Amino acid sequence: MQEPIFSLLDVERTYELRRPGWLNRAPRQLKALDGVRLDLQRGDTLALVGESGSGKSTLIRLMLGLEPASDGRVLYGQRDLAQLDAEEKKRFAREVAFIYQNARGSMNPRMRIADILAEPIRLHRLCAESAIAERLAALLDRVGLPAGLLQRFPSELSGGQIRRVAIARALAAEPQVIMADESVAGLDVSVQAQVLNLLRDLCRESGITLVFITHDLGVASYLCEKIAVLYLGRIVEQGPTDAILNTPRHPYTRALLQAFPRFDMPLKASLSGEIPSPVDLPKGCRFAGRCPEAQAACRESDPALTAFDAERQVACLFPVAGAQ
Amino acid sequence: MSDALNITATPDSQWKRRFLQPLLRQRSAVAGLAIIVIYVVAAVFAPWLATHDPTAQDLMASLQGPSAAHWLGTDSYGQDLYSRLLYGAQLALIIGFASVALGLVVGVAIGLAAGLMGGRTEWVLMRIVDGLLAFPELILAMAFMAVLGLGTENLVYALALSFVGPFARMTRGDVLQVKNQPYIEAARLMGVPTAAIIWRHVLPNVVSPILVQAGMRVSIAILLESGLSFLGIGVVPPTPDWGLMIAEGRAFITMAPWISGVPGVALAILLVALNLLGDGLRDAFDPTTQKDA
Repeated sequence: MQEPIFSLLDVERTYELRRPGWLNRAPRQLKALDGVRLDLQRGDTLALVGESGSGKSTLIRLMLGLEPASDGRVLYGQRDLAQLDAEEKKRFAREVAFIYQNARGSMNPRMRIADILAEPIRLHRLCAESAIAERLAALLDRVGLPAGLLQRFPSELSGGQIRRVAIARALAAEPQVIMADESVAGLDVSVQAQVLNLLRDLCRESGITLVFITHDLGVASYLCEKIAVLYLGRIVEQGPTDAILNTPRHPYTRALLQAFPRFDMPLKASLSGEIPSPVDLPKGCRFAGRCPEAQAACRESDPALTAFDAERQVACLFPVAGAQ
Repeated sequence: MSDALNITATPDSQWKRRFLQPLLRQRSAVAGLAIIVIYVVAAVFAPWLATHDPTAQDLMASLQGPSAAHWLGTDSYGQDLYSRLLYGAQLALIIGFASVALGLVVGVAIGLAAGLMGGRTEWVLMRIVDGLLAFPELILAMAFMAVLGLGTENLVYALALSFVGPFARMTRGDVLQVKNQPYIEAARLMGVPTAAIIWRHVLPNVVSPILVQAGMRVSIAILLESGLSFLGIGVVPPTPDWGLMIAEGRAFITMAPWISGVPGVALAILLVALNLLGDGLRDAFDPTTQKDA
């Protein structure tokens, strides 16, 4: 087995909350991430799935080194992200690209598309100054945009175009890992399909490792070979996409699947209530309060993510057995 | 998608569309600009346009009204008012633009440092700026002139210092807004060095309201400069300066009103023109005041 490109070792991220007022100022802790274990192999395509507030975005910000882990370690290759030296940081910045959920906001509104795309190329001296124009045209062509857009400003592009430019910029640095945060949310269906196809082709052709955040299981299953389901800051189930979609082992995954609209089935709200506040985590299993199959033991002990079979890990005391 | 291909504008027409056209749509701004151009031309070509040496005294010809020899008359020393007016325009414009430029550079630097570094640095810098802002500009400039001494150069420094506060505070406010934008974080993530982030990503996004403000400040600078010279703590006589000229004519206002009147009218017209242009720039480029055309 080859060595993982990213490993997360029991990563925690807590935020201190200060109560308003002068008295009673003992800070409360918000656990955005709680004991996340994850191994990412080179060439993997992983979808992080979960409801709002499940910690998907925090997890990816930690993996990008934008925020430090409160506890546990995030390893890139063999090196701890928190301890990279200047040279390694530069290499990390080149090898790992991030596509923002807000693609337009992630581009300087005063810069032309040409300059936006050329910035990482010039920064890492990936090609000679004279070859940049050619490289930019190739990049735009790769994401299916006309070269005429190069002289425009981000505000002049449509939602679908700007997301493709964001993908092109991520590709400009010739990265090995691309992380994308809800990159197709809010697009209309046909544009969404184009962007998804583009991302899928890129991963297949260039062997790029992809981490994709989404709350849409359909998108996840189309794009990614692996799925990690997050709930309240912990991965509750993780494994190959097919296996997870066909035989979910964690009651939360199953509930998510049932909440997904299908043509042949009436839609029933399978999950009642909101995701609990991460400030006051319930004792025992964090899903127990909403779990249809919670038992007395679930309210007592907190299950860790453990191997279910060769490829799958589940954090549940009583995994769902058999087919759906 | 098809329209994406044919609206590809060249950089040149982009510039016209983004800068020139919105400005030209402001009628009063164009009028102001025209007047300012006349003043600038008069100032630049003063040595050729002047009929006399601006500081040559001719006591035999003192206190004369407008005539063929002295188009706008002479003052109590017999100095030609028309020539002094032209050289005075030179001085007013140089002091006005130089002091604003200096104040802008220092103020923007302080604002950037405070906004980007935050913490204790920001606190100290902004308290200094608060101190500067606590005084009216004229009082502050007077205090600095008292410390620095008379002279054109010192006048520029004094005026520049009184402009540092507003520019610094404004820049800091905009920087605080811009630095939390995702594109700043995106640039950092790509490994762009801090200096390049400030130069390429922060500055261009805070600069336009600052430039509009600078345009408005030029008229204040010229007014302050004339005021200080009028009060006798600006430039040294016999330098041809409008404020100084108005002060010199004060004693003869009933006998020879043109001595104070000529520079006074010239000053008033220039200030109105500068304000018209400043308002036009603001309306054209400040998104918060943009009206439907």
